Amino acid sequence: MNETAAAASRRPLVVAMILAWLFPGLGHFYLGRRTTAVAYAVIVTATFLAGVSFQGRLYTVEAGQPLTILATFAVYGAGLLNIAARLLSDNPAGTILAATYEYGCAYLLTAGLMNLLLILDAHDIAAGRKR
Amino acid sequence: MIAIIPTDHFLIMTLYALLVSAFFALLWRETRRERLRLFGILLASLVLGGLAVAWLMYPFPS
Repeated sequence: MNETAAAASRRPLVVAMILAWLFPGLGHFYLGRRTTAVAYAVIVTATFLAGVSFQGRLYTVEAGQPLTILATFAVYGAGLLNIAARLLSDNPAGTILAATYEYGCAYLLTAGLMNLLLILDAHDIAAGRKR
Repeated sequence: MIAIIPTDHFLIMTLYALLVSAFFALLWRETRRERLRLFGILLASLVLGGLAVAWLMYPFPS
């Protein structure tokens, strides 16, 4: 396969991965797995919104707190959900005194990590590694 | 932003277990039957595991 043909065959893979990051399930929808795409969208969005409503924290990197690098990476995995929540929320840092704060953080981190797994899954489907 | 905030820890834990179980059942299995089976196993493990850990922590309050 020459370089042009190889680049053309990689295109759907890259598009699927970008779409998968933008919104949960969008990569799978693009690849023709529409039913599972809708299910993924519902599950990941519900997890993320629950995290926001539980007053969890949308992490940002803090000096002297190396674990916030991982947490920020995880939350940014949720794509546009994370960006929209940061723009729309009155309190993106969460409410640390709220009884549900820790749960909210866990939900938000989980939603981001779920979407990162969906990006990898979309990659595997587009690359033909998964049926 | 709309805030629906249950403070029942068991309810929040069970909701989390439901969402995570459904996600991994869809991701890791292909057929409906296999997905339902894995969903049940994961849900039971997470809820019962959470209760077991909570029970084990009971003698050690912070």
